Amino acid sequence: MKKLIDILPLVIFVILIGVLFSFLSNKNNQLETVLIDDTFPKFSLSSLEDDSRLLTQLDISELPALINVWATWCIACRVEHPFLMKLKRESIIPIYGLNYKDNRRKALELLKRDGNPFEFSIFDFEGRLAIDLGVYGAPETFFIDRNGVIRERHVGIVDDKIWEEKFAKYLYE
Amino acid sequence: MNRISIFCILISLSFGNFASTDKDYDFNKDAYPFESEIKEELFYSLLFELRCPKCQSSNLAGSNSPISNDLKREVYELIKKDKSSDQIKTYLVERYGNFIIYNPPIEPATYVLWFGPLALILISIFSILFFRKRQIQ
Repeated sequence: MKKLIDILPLVIFVILIGVLFSFLSNKNNQLETVLIDDTFPKFSLSSLEDDSRLLTQLDISELPALINVWATWCIACRVEHPFLMKLKRESIIPIYGLNYKDNRRKALELLKRDGNPFEFSIFDFEGRLAIDLGVYGAPETFFIDRNGVIRERHVGIVDDKIWEEKFAKYLYE
Repeated sequence: MNRISIFCILISLSFGNFASTDKDYDFNKDAYPFESEIKEELFYSLLFELRCPKCQSSNLAGSNSPISNDLKREVYELIKKDKSSDQIKTYLVERYGNFIIYNPPIEPATYVLWFGPLALILISIFSILFFRKRQIQ
């Protein structure tokens, strides 16, 4: 019993080191999503395809839907692009793009070259709607249910695995 | 005596972090003109209190990433609209969560953050006392 108490500090020390090291290697530094279970924020921004067309939250009319934050400067978005094209091709869910702090001409060129998985893209040059969504990078994807409520958010690339784990369940509600 | 002085040196070294994060921002101050000094002071004090969501270990003042520049603009516009410090923080917390403020509120999710260090110090003091007493015995 005496021995046990003598090695107790060492045990606590080792446990503490272990816990702290596990935090170090924890790559999950994603922020919480405050907006989960809130309705999609109001906005009024031009369309990527036609700068004279003003889009609002009411234009996101086919629900449930995904909102995908993308940009031509975002390399990970190019990796994600084929998966979005697959969702479009198989008509699994409509996707609305949020073109984030991008160059309109380059963005349109990319969609023309690689295909356009989006119903339309919102042109958010100044990152206004992005701030209302708590976006801090690209790609990010939000799931909007049939009532226009944000149910899930993913920061980073969505692929088959993430789709199955995080999003697919909301589709069959 | 020697031990005590080493302890004091270690303690003072640990405060170095606070000093270095203070007055360095690398952006053009002229880009944010204010009509009053009070508002200008509020703007800069908020930039030091708000965290860049992308870089995470830097405040808005010390970061030049696109998202922190957007947030600087957002803070600037809110101050121009006569919003108070608390209103601006609430506005940003509603979007980015408590993470965005370096001085998060005391609530269950942040108990470890606020009371963890104190608990560790108390545990250490009690263990030192406990083990010293045993040694003497």
